Amino acid sequence: MSQAIYAQTDKRCDLPSLIAQVRSGDCVAIGGGLSSREPMAALRELVRWAIGNLKLVGSAHGIDVDLLCGAGLVAESAESYVGFEQDFGMAPNYRRACESGKVEVRDSCCYTLVQQLRAAIAGLPFMPMRSVRGTGFMAMHQEYKTMICPYTGEELLLVPALKPDVAILHAQYGDAHGNLHIEGPPVADILFAKASKKVIATVEQILPNERLAEVGVTIPYFYITAVSEVPYGAHPTACYPFYAYDRRHTDEYYRLASESAEAFNGYLQAYVYGCASQANYLEVIGGIETLERLASWQQGLEAWQALYD
Amino acid sequence: MTKPSHCSLGEAMIHQIARTIEDGILAFHGFGSPLVQLALHLAKRTHAPRMVLVAGATYGVNPSPPFLTPTSNDWVMDRGAECHLDIEGLFDLAASGRMGRMFLSGLQIDRFGNLNVTRLGQERLQLKLPGGGGGCNLSCDVAHVTIWTAAHRTPPDAKGRRRFRLVTDCDFITSVGHRTSEGKNRVEMGYQGQGPDGIVTELGVFDFDESGHARLAAIYPDVDVDTVRENTGFDFPVREDLSVVPLPTREMVEFIRALDPLKIHERELKSEDRLRSFFLA
Repeated sequence: MSQAIYAQTDKRCDLPSLIAQVRSGDCVAIGGGLSSREPMAALRELVRWAIGNLKLVGSAHGIDVDLLCGAGLVAESAESYVGFEQDFGMAPNYRRACESGKVEVRDSCCYTLVQQLRAAIAGLPFMPMRSVRGTGFMAMHQEYKTMICPYTGEELLLVPALKPDVAILHAQYGDAHGNLHIEGPPVADILFAKASKKVIATVEQILPNERLAEVGVTIPYFYITAVSEVPYGAHPTACYPFYAYDRRHTDEYYRLASESAEAFNGYLQAYVYGCASQANYLEVIGGIETLERLASWQQGLEAWQALYD
Repeated sequence: MTKPSHCSLGEAMIHQIARTIEDGILAFHGFGSPLVQLALHLAKRTHAPRMVLVAGATYGVNPSPPFLTPTSNDWVMDRGAECHLDIEGLFDLAASGRMGRMFLSGLQIDRFGNLNVTRLGQERLQLKLPGGGGGCNLSCDVAHVTIWTAAHRTPPDAKGRRRFRLVTDCDFITSVGHRTSEGKNRVEMGYQGQGPDGIVTELGVFDFDESGHARLAAIYPDVDVDTVRENTGFDFPVREDLSVVPLPTREMVEFIRALDPLKIHERELKSEDRLRSFFLA
């Protein structure tokens, strides 16, 4: 089936309207990776609207997936990695949700995901690859098939096209038409945008198209369904050059999440349910003082290093 | 400034991992692996200046980070990169046979170098691990793999049982070593890469014998073979020329300390192992 294109001239909307594009039960691809450029404000909005039963697909993630698991919105996870690296370790809400059986574990691997998205992007039913055969993922994914290559005679693995229902991205810049500019590693965002049925994006700043064309378009507008200007929309993950990763806030998140589901509910009350808007949230995380601290990386290496102490 | 008279265990492990890296190859480190990140930079600074160093998470090529951060997808780690790959480009390099070496770890490492970072418990899920990122794919495709862990030592619990890191068989195979659970070797499976050629731990270093089984090749100056045996879940052969792990030079130790002022790599080590140090002659 052919994929939609989005040709509207003005796709700007507020956060609730943006999130209204996500339906209960959707297969969702979250952009960004690990501690950078996660669409956290959009995910907090998703939690406030309690749009659940989600099936997540992705590469290397952390607090984004953990937050949705902690809010009880996830039914299935096909991520490649969910954790806090050497910084804090395993993802507490994700672990609890998987181990209790609330989340069905359907782990994937980065290149498997890439090949599945590329099949969707090219309009093909599957892509072949050599790896994965011989691992535990074969039993976990009955949809993987093998075939003998008609050219070489070797055994190959076939992985089916993956078209997420919706991709949720956060970029530095966008324009009213929906063009996006991503600075720094795009991770899987471009693949997600091209493979998904709908793409919703928050951006730090909406620019006039002439300005955006100057800095360069990473994802063309016709892939994008709706866009919302949300400054600090990736907090507590980084969105350079605007702000670095908020290790202090993540530490508080991690402490409450590891303590218990009840303690984590306190986090949700304070930072998600208790904040009606992003402006409200920015006050609760410490206002201008916190925002200046996170921008201080630009003052030099010493200030940058101090953010990780 | 006086040169360091000792190196720490972490620095000795970094040096040992660095020694597995050949000059002129393309090498990639994943995320959440400070010992490996430092090893790649050490190798590039010393014996492997022409190595193409690709950083995990940012996919920056030949970056020169001013200091190590506890998270890998950070602009700090991308500073000075001369160009960048995207996610598909990076994994295509491995699939097409251009990636020379990758580094993998696991909460379980079996005798054939299979790794588990997915789940503990075979029937019932006892512990959900973070997952392997792209390790599953890379373990098949990359020419050579270095396995490392800083948690080989597994003290017995109150009932005298040990939950080994080095196990006979993994509960789940996330990435492949030299023999699948059905007993097939890499040639039979048609994997492109040659698989792991070493396991660097905080007790010693293993290579793999002709059957693809882990074999003890070297130990640290403060470790004996019996200690390795009691902390390993399977019997293993020992090389006739078993050696003591060579230590880094003072200049190497200084380089590591300058690159990791926050001592991020020590987070991989157990607290008692952070106290181990070796005299540099």
